[in-house]
Order: sequence, then C-alpha cells, then structure tokens
Amino acid sequence: MHEMPIATDIVERAVEAAEQHGATRIEQIEVHIGLMRQVVPEALELAFTLASEGTMAHGAKLSISQVKAVASCNVCGCRFEPEVEISFACPRCSQADVRIVAGNDIILTSVTCQADEEASLS
Amino acid sequence: MKINVVENVLKASGAVAEANRRRMDEARLVAINLMSAPGSGKTALLENTIPALGPDNPCAVLVGDLQTTRDAERLGHLAVQTTQINTGKGCHLSPAQVAQGLNTLALDRITFLFVENVGNMVCPAAFDLGEHLRVVLLSVPEGDDKVAKYPILFQVADAILLTKVDLIGVLEFEVRRVRDDLSRINTRAPLIELSNKTGRGMKEWLDWLHRQRRPPNRARGGTPATF
Repeated sequence: MHEMPIATDIVERAVEAAEQHGATRIEQIEVHIGLMRQVVPEALELAFTLASEGTMAHGAKLSISQVKAVASCNVCGCRFEPEVEISFACPRCSQADVRIVAGNDIILTSVTCQADEEASLS
Repeated sequence: MKINVVENVLKASGAVAEANRRRMDEARLVAINLMSAPGSGKTALLENTIPALGPDNPCAVLVGDLQTTRDAERLGHLAVQTTQINTGKGCHLSPAQVAQGLNTLALDRITFLFVENVGNMVCPAAFDLGEHLRVVLLSVPEGDDKVAKYPILFQVADAILLTKVDLIGVLEFEVRRVRDDLSRINTRAPLIELSNKTGRGMKEWLDWLHRQRRPPNRARGGTPATF
C-alpha cells in the first residue's frame, strides 16, 4: 500500500500552505494524481484519514482527480494518451517504446481552510 | 478561504532521489533497481551474476525486505558490500532508505550497485529511488499472464528477465504470450530468458550489463575495467 507515504506528504504540504495563510483548520484538499502512480483513491482516502490525525487537516475532505498519462513515442515522435492498464503501443507506428511525459505527478492544487480571524485581521 | 496552489506533493522524495543519483553519478557507478514479485529469483540472480562479473566489476547490493537479514546473509559469502534495509511494513524501498544505504557503502569502489527492491509488483514501480536502470524479473511459476496484469511495472523496465525457464515444460508456460503482451506494453526493453539453475541466458544478461557500464573517467586517470 504505497498510498500511506503519499497521504503523509499530502498532509504535510497542505498544512504548510494553510499555515502560511494563518489558517486553523483545513476543510478540503484537492489533489491531481497521475495514473502512472497506480494510486487507489479509496486506499488514499483511508490513508489520508490516518495520516491527518492530530493535524489541522483531520476531518478534511480529500478530493482526488485522476490525470491521464501522456506518452511520447521514441520511434516516431507521436504524442498520445495510453490506456495505462491495457497498452502503451503508439497509435501511429504500433511500437511500445515510449517516454512518459505526464501521468507521474501528484499535484496539490488547492486547500480550502478556515482562517484564524485574528491572524487574518493583523 | 480557498488557497490555490500548484505544488508537487512528492517533491521532498523526488529531491532525495535526485541527490542519490548525483552521488552515484559522481562515483561513476551504475545503479540498477531490481523489481519483481517475491520469490522470482532476485537474490539467486545476484548470487550468480556477481561472481560472473568478476573482480574487475566490483558490485554492491542494497537489499530491501520487510523483515530478516536472510538475503544479505546469502549474499554475504560473495565478499561484496551488502546492506540489508528492513522496511518494516513498507511495501517498497524509499529514496530516503536508499540514501541511508548509500552511506554504508564505499561508492568509489563500485561498478554496479544492485538495489534489490521489496518483492511487490505494484508499489516499487511508483517510486524513483535515484537509480539509473530498472530491471524487472518475472519467474515462470508466476504464470504467463503477469505482463498484462501488471502493465506499469513492465512498462518502466529497461530490461526484463524471464527467470526459472527450466520450468517452462513442467508448468505449461507460454513465452509467446509474454512476448505478445510486451508488444503492447514495452518493446524497448529486451526480454532475456534466464535460468539460474542451468545457466541459460546468463551470457545475454551479462552482455547487457556490460553495455550499461560507464566509460572510464579519464580525468581521474583510472584504467578501464575489463569484463
């Protein structure tokens, strides 16, 4: 279950961002996850619940969007979106000799939080 | 309040992997991440490969396992630098664990560093450790359908070793099926049919390794190693 270290990093990055804005509680975290990461959303949600215990992210909703992979064919240069669970074969030349140019990233895109009124007023 | 950010969640882990790669680049060694299911023959492969590479190609091994030092003990008699990393409940090696492992090795004395990952066909493929090459093993007893079942592991491979091929006749394993699946998943990596028992395929594997070696660092005045 490689979702646990990913969940821990999500919590750390989100808390960092929230603290920079004087927040006291995180309500929602949005992440975009590349399909090459083989993350199971339900497993990540469970791991997130465990990883966020004792932090301001505890109880927050984790919103996960999965991002398709993009491959560049090393043979003919064609760029395409492979169906990563079935095939990486180039639609133009049929070779499965590719470089993955997108689909490996896990990006934190937004943190919705409750601001500390005193901090935001100062 | 909604804070919009664009931040790579794994930037810390990625930075450690890059630092590992820089250290190994500076030492001019070739780091190979060995990935497979448990029991596919990773340790047996190393037991045969390291002596065959000989003293001109000194090797070291970082062995990842959830528990025990058994693999490191098996490799210990080969007189190579070996460090066991126990991951506890972790299902893959992390870049930080490899960084700690590198601290235990004399890197400037190594031609090949084999990183024997935890036996698992999903999680190790998702984490860059800073290695230069990825070699995936598939053993005949696992069945000839595993490339289709675990496509991403095989997609990231630079070489694929089909091990225990001496059992093909016993288990009605169809190599054709593996090759057919690889034609859709990865046509870049060679498929090498190997038997640690009979020695079949060892020359092809050793030739592949030989081609991955770095050219000698002339600035240091080193003499080229012979194979």
